[in-house]
Amino acid sequence: MPTPYEPAATRMRATPGAASEGVPARPPLLRDRADGPTPGVCAAVARHLGVSRRLVRIAVVVLAFSGGAGVAAYLFLWALTPEVEGATWAPPPPARSERRRWGVLLVAGLALVVTGFALLVPAVGVSVRGSVLVPTFVIGVGAVVAWSNLDATQRSRWLAGGPDGMGWVRVVLGAGLTLAGILVLVTRGRSVNDLWDAVLAALAVLVGALILAAPWALRLWGDFRREQDAAVRATERADIAAHLHDSVLQTLALIQRRSADPAAVTRLARAQERELRSWLYDGPLGSQESLAAAVTEVAHEVEDEHGVPVDLVVTGDRPFEQDGGALTRAMREALLNAVRHGRPPVTAYVEIGPGGVEAFVRDRGDGFDLESVPEDRLGVRRSILARMERHGGTARVRRREDGTEVELRLPPIEGEES
Amino acid sequence: MTSSRPDPTPSGVAVRVVLVDDHRMFRTGVRAELTDAMAGAEPVCEFVGEAADVDAAVAVVRAEAPDVVLLDVHLPGGSGNGGVDVIRGCAGVETLQGRPVRFLALSVSDAAEDVIAVIRAGARGYVTKTIGARDLLTAVRRVADGDAVFSPRLAGFVLDAFGAAAGEIAEVDEELDRLSAREREVMRLIARGYQYKEVAKELFISVKTVETHVSSVLRKLQLSSRHELTAWAMGRRLV
Repeated sequence: MPTPYEPAATRMRATPGAASEGVPARPPLLRDRADGPTPGVCAAVARHLGVSRRLVRIAVVVLAFSGGAGVAAYLFLWALTPEVEGATWAPPPPARSERRRWGVLLVAGLALVVTGFALLVPAVGVSVRGSVLVPTFVIGVGAVVAWSNLDATQRSRWLAGGPDGMGWVRVVLGAGLTLAGILVLVTRGRSVNDLWDAVLAALAVLVGALILAAPWALRLWGDFRREQDAAVRATERADIAAHLHDSVLQTLALIQRRSADPAAVTRLARAQERELRSWLYDGPLGSQESLAAAVTEVAHEVEDEHGVPVDLVVTGDRPFEQDGGALTRAMREALLNAVRHGRPPVTAYVEIGPGGVEAFVRDRGDGFDLESVPEDRLGVRRSILARMERHGGTARVRRREDGTEVELRLPPIEGEES
Repeated sequence: MTSSRPDPTPSGVAVRVVLVDDHRMFRTGVRAELTDAMAGAEPVCEFVGEAADVDAAVAVVRAEAPDVVLLDVHLPGGSGNGGVDVIRGCAGVETLQGRPVRFLALSVSDAAEDVIAVIRAGARGYVTKTIGARDLLTAVRRVADGDAVFSPRLAGFVLDAFGAAAGEIAEVDEELDRLSAREREVMRLIARGYQYKEVAKELFISVKTVETHVSSVLRKLQLSSRHELTAWAMGRRLV
């Protein structure tokens, strides 16, 4: 049966290994949220010193019994050690079942410690009465449990959503323990009834304080939210400004400098328009691994190189694979021919469907006869016709009344025929 | 560009056009270009008004009752839906000949939802602002005659939205949620950059038949409750 310590052991082996390269740099003294329900102080110290966790735990417990130094050190370290979630060296968070076992271990340990104290106190003969010690201890435990939720990372998570189930359990348990402890400490064996008036008075004061503080707290909360919103907006604005600076302003500067060259200006303006359009309407760049994206990129490339607008329409999509790559390259060649030898407008239509891919590139030039193209002109024959045939597709060059149309066809991806 | 000069109207009357766009420079540019393109020939259209926002546009259209409104998709004013608000605000306005006022969307936006939204609101067509002057004149004339004008891009959207590219074909022509096989062919050729005339030649049908098919696709686009179309419209809070 796998023990709960197995992952921990792997972790311990991994950490010194990572640090042993070159100068044995110590891992920073950081607590990791993935270390289970405890604050993770012992684990952090163990990691930092490169010793076994168990050793550290034993040391802390031993120290705790020598005048409480261990407890003090533990609390001190807990308060001052920053907590991180998943540091670079951190192992993957333990599985849920392990966390549960940790919880069981924790409760069992607490029970043992409490019993130990109860037995120990009369034996040692410390002149502290149990009626004070036990409630104080309970208060302490309650506070620790409740506070453990207020570590920095957890707090940010609270603001984002609610605490998770475990968090609520901790808060309720901690609050309950603390309240019970205080109650016991205060009553000191007297009847609860005697305290009733005092409790009522205390409650009244609390409610009064709440009423007084509520508007102030609400305003603080509102301010906080407003500040957050403003920060988000400012970030967005900064993003847009950065983008415009990198793209539009640069292009405008280029256009001013090259204003004598109308072709260059047209090209720059067209490229910028396309870039801005895709930024505005397409949202963040999707997967570039699709055939539609590849075809679009090729069309834009040709447009940029030759400054002739290409009207591209794409419907459907499919993953980019080798045959699609061949089609993309053949289409690039066809587009290049169209912008070089034909006349605008150059239109391209790519239909990607379950029946395969069809691509059409059309220009309005004088057209040419494939037969009249000299044998040594390789562009059309090799780059378009032969390439498509090699990849199981077909290509056809049609001379029309006005211009030429190149048709490329690919069969559907195998196994995906519908 | 091979599209011949548009035929003069049977009645010989120029199409009365209102130009709606929030950029003055663009309005001036379109007017100048179209005027240049008509120079030396019988005028195809005459500009009777301009507007820069939704409310002004509705007022001008109601006052002038033009044959065709060249309409930008994005406009300030109204309830924030730009061209769609203009079309809604002008519902029921009739031209001097007693025909409904037609709208032709003219926009830089290629976003599917913008295109589909104005078409579904009632525009007879959609062309991008990069269109040539001659083509624009042809489009204006066509819209004035009650036909539909599809740019290659709009045809691509239609093929995508109706699943025609994926092979969905209507069993009967009347089915609103799918294109018929013939309509699909016409749309594919338009997406490939063919003029109506070229489509007709390619399919061995008359230009009139091509126009009929395109109008039928437009009707489907406007009336269909197909999921993809509704989703687009929903995104613009139009349904």
